[in-house]
Amino acid sequence: MSNIVVLDNGGGLIKAGLGGERNPAVVIPNCLYRPLSSKKFLHPTTTFSSSTEDLTSAAIRRPIDRGYLINPDLQRDIWSHLFNSLLHVTPSTSSLLLTEPLFSLPSIQRATDELVFEDFGFSSLVVADSPSLVHLYETSRCPDGLVSEGRCSLVVDCGFSFTHAAPVFQNYTLNYGVKRIDLGGKALTNYLKELVSYRAINVMDETFLMDDVKEKLCFVSLDVERDLQIARKHGKDNLFRCTYVLPDGVTHTKGFVKDPEAAKRHLAVTDGASPSEAVADQLEVADRTTDRKRVDLSKNEFDLTNERFLVPEMIFQPADLGMNEAGLAECIVRAVNACHPYLHPVLYQSIILTGGSTLFPRFVERLEKDLRPLVPDDYQVNITTQEDPILGVWRGGSLLASSPDYDSMRVTKAEYEELGSARCRRRFFR
Amino acid sequence: MDDDNSNALRRMSTRTRKVATKMAAALGSSDNRTQAALARLEALENDNAGIETVEMNDDDEASLDEDDQGYMQKRSKGTKRKTRQAKALENARKAPRSFLELLQEANLESLPPHVPSYLRAAVGPPSSTSRRHFCSVCGFSARYTCVTCGMRFCSCRCQNIHNDTRCMKFVA
Ligand SMILES: [Zn+2]
Ligand SMILES: [Zn+2]
Repeated sequence: MSNIVVLDNGGGLIKAGLGGERNPAVVIPNCLYRPLSSKKFLHPTTTFSSSTEDLTSAAIRRPIDRGYLINPDLQRDIWSHLFNSLLHVTPSTSSLLLTEPLFSLPSIQRATDELVFEDFGFSSLVVADSPSLVHLYETSRCPDGLVSEGRCSLVVDCGFSFTHAAPVFQNYTLNYGVKRIDLGGKALTNYLKELVSYRAINVMDETFLMDDVKEKLCFVSLDVERDLQIARKHGKDNLFRCTYVLPDGVTHTKGFVKDPEAAKRHLAVTDGASPSEAVADQLEVADRTTDRKRVDLSKNEFDLTNERFLVPEMIFQPADLGMNEAGLAECIVRAVNACHPYLHPVLYQSIILTGGSTLFPRFVERLEKDLRPLVPDDYQVNITTQEDPILGVWRGGSLLASSPDYDSMRVTKAEYEELGSARCRRRFFR
Repeated sequence: MDDDNSNALRRMSTRTRKVATKMAAALGSSDNRTQAALARLEALENDNAGIETVEMNDDDEASLDEDDQGYMQKRSKGTKRKTRQAKALENARKAPRSFLELLQEANLESLPPHVPSYLRAAVGPPSSTSRRHFCSVCGFSARYTCVTCGMRFCSCRCQNIHNDTRCMKFVA
């Protein structure tokens, strides 16, 4: 039996491991980085959030642009390190299950095949798309659930590079129904950088720091108008104001949230509750925070208020940014409407959320709130979040790799050499 | 495989590489506001750039390039000497290009309308044309627009801050 390497090659993170296992052995950023202290670009060996390294103003090179592979040389370099030093696999005796974004271009597929077969010499390759793997994982996780019963789902993948709403039917992604918003986690981090740099302190070069700020402090608003009012208030009435401390390079190399408890006060503002009630509930916490200094004059920290929810808000209303694109709820409706009417009710009741950018608190509630009025009254709307929205695709891949269907899906190196990229690719078309 | 390769090269040589037309028109126009808005959206996909382009020409990259060249030569039919033009073409082909350039080259517009593609998967414009405006300085609802760059502000105070330090920041 040969190994099957399962590789979810995301624009942000690489998730890689052996088929059949529950979790990927390796999760690393898909990039090279150069800290200020280094002359050379380095390979990350862990995610940046779990490293203690000083990444202030680190430069970064990614092989993937807007979700697609544009720099095969760089990807080769990263994969080579991945296979040799992190996974310790021998490609020539292994099969590769690789995820590829929907609607990849022929030139990019050709470059990918060259990497897999010519540079690394894998014995065989299966290319799969994320929505079908997510669907596969959810159906096998809950064999009696709605998704399994209807045999179809609407996978909403809000990742690093973009957001897709993709109908899946019997493990096949219905590509004519897929709709894409050109916004993902990368754009959100960059937007947050822009806002903070505009308003407080220049962080345009601090990608890693701002990723951390975004992950720890951003949340989705259920009522933007109301929350803007709350964010204007002074002192303890402002439930959203919180302070992030920048690394000083001496005592701490990582930034951190100054008062994590106070930063959670936004959770007290529930849908429908008036701000004053919420304030009363949280008086105790608020009291403790009032005597803290609001802004350190040495500029080693900055405050966030409305930025915390205006950043994820982009996914729901890209038009606010000046992007001529519909928001997530409409994106879902359009994806559903592109399918046979027979599927509409089943798709609405089997919406699966995945991707790192769905991890913001209240994402599901907000999506439900936006989506419900757009869906016919007699249809149920049911949204589930994956257990782990970052690893979900990989886990689906791991399942596929251990399924009996895997062998029939493979393109072998010999077939590639005989037929070439384009014709082998037809096998992955569904 | 050979087919694929020569096709791609042929496409490259016959079609002049054009910048995404919309983008070119906007960037070429004297309309600062359109320019600023586009530049700002483009910036959302940036990494810590600048440094990157310099690094591409570094020595360790060059060695990879030579490998590629050998590999490309093997594939081109016959032993014909490469003309300067062909060589330039190859170099252009190897330098990492942005996704938008690759997209342009793939010429997806020529596909029949029923074929799903990257372009047809775009969600499209929102059904409601109403747009909320947030102050670019403080984030609150903004009623006023900067005549120079099109960004928004809510008050005199924010307007002054905008004019002093932020106006046209994303275009320069
Ligand atoms: Zn303002
Ligand atoms: Zn201006």
